[in-house]
Amino acid sequence: MDVKITKLFFLLTSMLLFVSCFDGTDFDQANDVVVTPEIELDLIYFNLDASSFYNNATNTEVLVVEDTTDLDFLGGSDINDILKGADFFFKFTNSISRGFNVSFDFLSQDNVSRYLMQTNVAPGSENTPVVSYFVQSLDELQIKELTKAKKVLVTVTIPSSSQDLTGVLNLQSKTTYYLQIEQ
Amino acid sequence: MKKLLFIYLALGLSVAVSQNKQLLYNWEVTPQTLMLNPGALVTNQFHAGIPLASQFHINVGSSGVSVFDVFADDGVEINTKISNTISKLSSRDFFTVNQQLDVLNFGWLSKGLEPMYFSGGMYQELDAIAYFPKDIAILALEGNREYIGKAYDFNDISARADLLTVYHFGVNKQVSKKLTAGVRLKLYSSLISVSSTRNKGAFKTTVREGSANIYEHTVTDLDVEVKTSGFISLDGLEPSQVRKKLLGRALLGGNLGIGIDAGITYQFDNELSLTASVLDLGAIFHTKDTELYKAKGDYTLNGIELIFPELENGEPTIPYYDNLEDDITREIPVDTLNTGYTQLRPTKINAALHYDFGRFVGDNGGCNCKNNGTKQKRVSQAGVQYYSIFRPRGLQMAGTLYYTRRFGNTLSIKTTYTLDSYSAKNIGAGMFLNIAGVNLFLAADNLLQMSNLAKANSVSLQVGLNYILH
Repeated sequence: MDVKITKLFFLLTSMLLFVSCFDGTDFDQANDVVVTPEIELDLIYFNLDASSFYNNATNTEVLVVEDTTDLDFLGGSDINDILKGADFFFKFTNSISRGFNVSFDFLSQDNVSRYLMQTNVAPGSENTPVVSYFVQSLDELQIKELTKAKKVLVTVTIPSSSQDLTGVLNLQSKTTYYLQIEQ
Repeated sequence: MKKLLFIYLALGLSVAVSQNKQLLYNWEVTPQTLMLNPGALVTNQFHAGIPLASQFHINVGSSGVSVFDVFADDGVEINTKISNTISKLSSRDFFTVNQQLDVLNFGWLSKGLEPMYFSGGMYQELDAIAYFPKDIAILALEGNREYIGKAYDFNDISARADLLTVYHFGVNKQVSKKLTAGVRLKLYSSLISVSSTRNKGAFKTTVREGSANIYEHTVTDLDVEVKTSGFISLDGLEPSQVRKKLLGRALLGGNLGIGIDAGITYQFDNELSLTASVLDLGAIFHTKDTELYKAKGDYTLNGIELIFPELENGEPTIPYYDNLEDDITREIPVDTLNTGYTQLRPTKINAALHYDFGRFVGDNGGCNCKNNGTKQKRVSQAGVQYYSIFRPRGLQMAGTLYYTRRFGNTLSIKTTYTLDSYSAKNIGAGMFLNIAGVNLFLAADNLLQMSNLAKANSVSLQVGLNYILH
């Protein structure tokens, strides 16, 4: 009796242990896992008053104004490896009666230009500000160049200016980053 | 036979398989029955677990997803399956791993005017639970582009993992003909502990009329914390040094804690009885080798505002980016602390009603007088069991219906149907074999999925070898 029961015990537990398996699965699929987050992030913004384009002290036009900011997050090798593309979106709202040329020059630490974006902004008026959009989509090769940059030089050029020029040039901007993370 | 036993244990140990040990509760397996209810009925005079083999238990579970959901060989692209699985899961879904290994377990009946059964030993436990951080997972996997206006809740982050050893000593006494009660004192020694369970705050990207830039990225009411103990002193050590340190902690050299188990058995009559127990009512006091990280604050990011300052020749430009980083660090400081903290153990509650029926096991009348007049076992027992465990997000509960059939004193089989957070079709079975005092048990649940573990949400297995003297 005991021998039979013992055999039964081992038979049943063997079934339990050996029958169990992972059926109909393919773990090699893990190699195909690709994560593709798309991130929306504000970039820069400014409000340039028309008075910025005239030097009252010297009574002279200021046709070019510029400013620079570091964009440290661009230059990391981690981001460089997974960044597959980016859309730069700029929205200008101009209430100055002049058109502008605006450039965004992405510079390396030693001021070598890695990627240049340029656009024209339509003239507007204080009563009816004009909105201009500029979108620059970068593919993987272009973004690889851009990520070698550490900072961006923003240059705003006005064709002509005067003391009585009024209004504001407003910029709002964002970037969509397309990331791809795989094994 | 010995070889066969060894192979069995080795196989059992290698099979990954619930914190809920519904199969072992109030079953024949003396050491483990006492570990699950210190007030269990004890009919033996002595027991000794085979060192390191007295009991091995492992449970791997996930409440909302199975391996099959993601890795099915069905022609569907894996990234689509991952995406579907994530949308199916909620932040109340969780993943758990619980493993216990009895290093020592022994017990003996102390005869005398007041007979009592003493038991003690030491076991090692690994217990981890991670709730699915749905919002954070979506942000990491898909980004915020398709979710403008959505608040990503940091409360979704809740996880805890503990590796510890437990030294215990219990006493069990038949208080009256109907009532048996027991208590067990536990001394915990924590090897490693990490937890992050009380987080709050939200991150949101919104479009707001009148905002300075296209978006507003806001972090609101952030208060997140990660507590670690036993980690920093391992940093940079060689694996052999880490093993040595962990072994020292296992031998009461870790952060210590105390706890208590208590339980009762109440026999209404020869057929009906009630058992109940509370386990791990205690805490670990993490006083050394601790590191806590805290981040707290609010911040709104609009990007970088350029102000086009008039610069003299050679004058450096405004460090906008550095200023931004400083602002964020000031508004949401991340503090690293080495203060101590107390952590409650995940307390478990068991309760059950048992009904014995059928003829008596053996044939020597209705009274087993040697065991202080306790009732003699019948061949069949059926009942209902309740189990719950306190987890970071509240109670997790399970209900079990069971049937136990004894075949002489040699073999006992228990089958269970359990309804829990993982599944509504969990059928389990356990077999207990007694050959000349040597007891071998093996129990596993989710048998319906045993033919394909990939489809199981949780699997649990217990195996053990003990010597019991009646």
